[in-house]
Amino acid sequence: MSDSNEATSVPKTSRSRSRKPKKDQIPFAILTIVVIVVIGIILGRVNATLGLFWVFGNCFGFILQKTRFCFTASMRDPFLTGGTNVTKSVLAAFAITSIGFLAIKYGAFAKGLPIPGQSFVVPVSLATAIGAFMFGIGMVIAGGCASGTLMRVGEGFGMQILSLAFFVVGSLWGAHDMGWWQLNVILKGKAVFLPDLFGWMGALLVQMAIIVLLWIAADKWGKRKGADTTH
Amino acid sequence: MKEVELDCMGEACPVPLIKAEKEMAKLDIGDVLIVQIDHSCAMKNVPEWARKEGHNVEIEEVDDGEWEVIIEKVK
Repeated sequence: MSDSNEATSVPKTSRSRSRKPKKDQIPFAILTIVVIVVIGIILGRVNATLGLFWVFGNCFGFILQKTRFCFTASMRDPFLTGGTNVTKSVLAAFAITSIGFLAIKYGAFAKGLPIPGQSFVVPVSLATAIGAFMFGIGMVIAGGCASGTLMRVGEGFGMQILSLAFFVVGSLWGAHDMGWWQLNVILKGKAVFLPDLFGWMGALLVQMAIIVLLWIAADKWGKRKGADTTH
Repeated sequence: MKEVELDCMGEACPVPLIKAEKEMAKLDIGDVLIVQIDHSCAMKNVPEWARKEGHNVEIEEVDDGEWEVIIEKVK
């Protein structure tokens, strides 16, 4: 790699392909925004929460698409390419949401109100790990997790419309059999709510410590692979 | 110096990257690989991988939602 520094970009190749002019997307963008706002107003009239879901859903999709944020890549790329940039961004997102969740939950607790979202504190067991592993295999083959698949369907990527169809089939099947799993497997595990164990501040510190350790591990892994040229 | 085009249209995320990796191994120094993709996720990880390997990379949006990643093998 003696002369790799002189050119950071590839010299223009000999190809002179006739490019068809791109369509102007601005009218479509304005139309889309108008439609989103109109649907938002309609949903808001029906039910304020529904309207809020609509706004959050659109914002989340926009951010996912623009940042190319991909939960699948965060778990897959460390093994496939050795790249851990996405992994680190997901960990950063977890850290920020942890603080946000703590604020919401502690805010309710301090006022003596019921803590929101406690129904999502569910037992963990070996079944969780096995399920996660199976989900991991599935999402790599399908080319995206749930949010990623939805986002790419929105982008108009044909293959993932197929993923979405089977994602719906799988979800329905899962929902159908959930009762049995709940009774025979899930409830045999133990539900852990960290603030019960460590106190509110302790829970935050423990969670942050784990995230920071994972971040450091991801960073080290990325650099190690980067130095390795015999790929 | 030769140019090789790799058609990855319609292929989802890790596939273009793996194809590019395999194709790249066959090329000699100075050769150029043009990976054609239409999956936005591959638009990120193919260039990232190639830059990490030390190659020269350029991305061109040939059409709405279609890209060419031009990689020159330098080592």
